[in-house]
Amino acid sequence: MTTQELTDLLGLKALSTFEPREITGVFISDMLSDVMAGAKSGNLWITVQTHKNIVPAANLVDASAVIVTNGKQVPEETIELANKHDIAILWTESQTFELVGRLYSLGLATQ
Amino acid sequence: MAECAHTWNMTNRQFGFAVFERCSHCRIIRAYYAEQDSWDDYKEGEHHWSIVENAQTFRFDLECEECGMYVSYDDFLGLLYCTSCLDDCPVEILRKKYEEDNTWILVGFGFLPESSANPYSAEKLEVLSEYFNQRRDTSRSRVKILPNSLIDKLSLCRGDFIHDVGMLSLEPPEERKPLF
Ligand SMILES: [Zn+2]
Ligand SMILES: [Zn+2]
Repeated sequence: MTTQELTDLLGLKALSTFEPREITGVFISDMLSDVMAGAKSGNLWITVQTHKNIVPAANLVDASAVIVTNGKQVPEETIELANKHDIAILWTESQTFELVGRLYSLGLATQ
Repeated sequence: MAECAHTWNMTNRQFGFAVFERCSHCRIIRAYYAEQDSWDDYKEGEHHWSIVENAQTFRFDLECEECGMYVSYDDFLGLLYCTSCLDDCPVEILRKKYEEDNTWILVGFGFLPESSANPYSAEKLEVLSEYFNQRRDTSRSRVKILPNSLIDKLSLCRGDFIHDVGMLSLEPPEERKPLF
């Protein structure tokens, strides 16, 4: 499944512009250090973090998209940086638990 | 025997803190990795250190799964991304050049002040770049980690560390004060 297909399927809001990418798995953390240490190329990164530092972290580990949950407001500077680096920032009002349940039922899992 | 092409794995991961402190007497900045955070001022000889910032981070080593070559990063502070704050900064000039090639530049910092005078090992930064490139789909883009000694005006640099700064609370962090 690609990031664009997932966005359409779950009705996620795309906050940045991006080239669709194949999703390899899911990584959940609110710590950049966790992500840098463990996320894999093509992973969806699910977080409530919205600081612009999430963009270079996602870029470093080659995440396919960042999904911001719980309806957290994402600052404009984060979106601007994401556009610059072709990082998909997707957004949902759903709680992380609920979103992860839906991803799981679509067959996505930790990779 | 053919030379090993190296397949790097991250090993010996420990979560801790990047501590930034400033001497109120001579104004120098010192930064290093510590297992514990601390916020108390302290005296050390002539120096009087005050904490500027504690950021959650982690330390690690890299090991080749083929030949067992081991590279320690116990003297590594972290990665900073360039925010294009200074047009004439060598990092910004290289950033533009590499970006045409779909290569993202990051700046690898050793501890301070040591690494501003003595560049962090180029071999170790090369291995670190190789490691992160092995973790990504390099047909799309690559990363390249440059030494912090390239930043000639550190006190003016507004680059940002990829550290968990102000992220202990889940509220949107306030704009961070300059570090240097
Ligand atoms: Zn090797
Ligand atoms: Zn001093």
